[in-house]
Amino acid sequence: MKSNATRSNITLNPVYAPDAANSGDYAERFGNPGEYPFTRGTRAYTGQGWIQRELSGEGDARRSNEQFKYLMSLGQTGLDVIGDSPTMSLMDPDHPLARYTVGTQGVSLCRHEDYRQLLDDIPLDQMSVSSSSPSMFMVASLYLLAHERGISPGSLRGSVIEWPFYAEHCSYAYKMPFDLHLRMSCDVIEFCAKEMPRFHGYLEDTYFFSEAGLNAVEEAALGFVEIRHIVRTLLARGLDIDSFAPRIAILTNCSMDFYEEIAKIRAIRRIFARMMKEEFGAKDPRSQSVNIAVHTSGLSLTTEQPANNIVRGAVQTVALGLAGVSALEISTFDEGYRTPSKEAHLVGLRTQQIVDLETNINSVQDPFGGSWFMESLTDEVEAKILDMVRDIEAKGDPAELVNSGYFKQFFHGTMGRYHHQVHDGEVVKVGMNVHQMPPEEDRMLRDISEEKIEPMFDRIEEIKRFRDERDQAKLLDTFAKLYDVVQSDENMLEAVIECTGAGATMGEIAGILRQAWGTPYDPYGYLTSPLADKR
Amino acid sequence: MSSVRVVVGVLGMDQHELGAVGIAKMLRDNGMEVIYTGCFNTPETIVATAIEEDADVIGISSHSWEYLYYMPELLALLEQHELDIPVILGGSVITEQDARKMLDLGVAAVFGSGAVVTDMVDTVRRLMAGETAS
Repeated sequence: MKSNATRSNITLNPVYAPDAANSGDYAERFGNPGEYPFTRGTRAYTGQGWIQRELSGEGDARRSNEQFKYLMSLGQTGLDVIGDSPTMSLMDPDHPLARYTVGTQGVSLCRHEDYRQLLDDIPLDQMSVSSSSPSMFMVASLYLLAHERGISPGSLRGSVIEWPFYAEHCSYAYKMPFDLHLRMSCDVIEFCAKEMPRFHGYLEDTYFFSEAGLNAVEEAALGFVEIRHIVRTLLARGLDIDSFAPRIAILTNCSMDFYEEIAKIRAIRRIFARMMKEEFGAKDPRSQSVNIAVHTSGLSLTTEQPANNIVRGAVQTVALGLAGVSALEISTFDEGYRTPSKEAHLVGLRTQQIVDLETNINSVQDPFGGSWFMESLTDEVEAKILDMVRDIEAKGDPAELVNSGYFKQFFHGTMGRYHHQVHDGEVVKVGMNVHQMPPEEDRMLRDISEEKIEPMFDRIEEIKRFRDERDQAKLLDTFAKLYDVVQSDENMLEAVIECTGAGATMGEIAGILRQAWGTPYDPYGYLTSPLADKR
Repeated sequence: MSSVRVVVGVLGMDQHELGAVGIAKMLRDNGMEVIYTGCFNTPETIVATAIEEDADVIGISSHSWEYLYYMPELLALLEQHELDIPVILGGSVITEQDARKMLDLGVAAVFGSGAVVTDMVDTVRRLMAGETAS
């Protein structure tokens, strides 16, 4: 950032004085941490800092389990799991399109046995398991695992992301009609609220779509558009707002725009609180106070001079420590090339630990509170987010906007804009568009960063064999039941759990959902449904 | 000379579209005609589009190592169809060493994340001129 404006185009003055901030009524606008409207933090001072974790998952479930144990041995306090590209897109590893990417950019997960191996020896009632892999399948397996281990599903902690609005056009497509994806999300949230009340069945992930080059205001606005639609859908089902809202959390991005990112988090907390209380009638303070976890921006990093990324991660961690967040993952120095290496995991966790333990950052909550500058910026960011949410909702039913390709167009616009900003030097990246270095000199951490993860061709064969070994009659029976449930108004989770327990794969279950919805079992046209007699 | 027609796409399960969309826009801004095919392509779909659209150049954007497997397949398929369409590859995951490997295989040009637009546009124009000359 070299200009005197934030990435959301808010002008930054060289100095701020008392007239800059609308101090207003303290209780109404700020409140102490843990008090409405939670601008200053969702919880009163605990001194505990944030859950420290790093993005993990590679190869198959066994290898990823070893990775988790390594991270825990380094002091990691929560798990953050990502699936490989096929897993994230509801595709089994033996699908022809998945061939060259099984286990290379995350863990390959497609059946209950995988989750059993993935979470082997992990104390599920103590360790929070946050996962970006498709929520319905993670929840189904966690529920089964709790029963297998004799612990109450009510003691499970962690989160799954819901992304019906944007997944299709930005990152990981489910290749499903919007209404079906939304139904899946709402079924998961409803199920978790009843059966797994400590678990966040709805993490609004604004990280992944904001990596399409969005600025802080756009990121938060699109997040709120999705939250509001999901909340309205759940209320229309007859659910009480306080039955599910306490377990809504948000995972945001954090770019290098230091002040604006802090202001964004403070603004999100206040907007969320007021929206929940005033608009949706939430009475439980936990419904009004939103936990915010953060994944620092991969897009802010460079493949040039990878060591520079360590510094970026540290700066972002400081920003988030000042903003007050509940959990954090740093995009690591090798992010431009791969999911984190062992070395990158170490540096990422150590960065968090140094900021947490050596700086006193957690001794004071919301240290920027009352700053003429920060309060002014928080107000401006908040106003711009609210304006944008209003503008989008004024265009019509958000669901229609998804279907008409409005958001797809929007993302293509921001991707093109970001490309220009970097290319023209408007977004400064040291080592990439200024202070470059000839490739032959750019060697520090290069070998580690460029080390590849080979696709797991063995895993493809393993899953093919697994398919043949299952009780086919039982499977078909559970598929037929699921098919009927999809066509009813019932929550699908119970049927999905039954299929999962019978050995069904994620790809099969997703295919049955599509088929029952009247769309092709395999959207890519390679596979045929086991329920051939239906349609 | 009529405008250059470039098919731009992403292969396999790679769903990082930012680079592809950015490049497509910049090529268009520089007067080229871009046929943007998005994600989930295979060598077969890229070649089919190139034939259908009478493409002059194919541009593949990659943020996944899948390209290491798909690019040789794509080049072989073009050869099989006796199509002399240059293929350009771009993406941040491509290391120096792999870039050389791709060039040896017959990829016409490789660009990393720090590539300059004018270089890319010049390369496309140069490739076009080369074709006309031969």
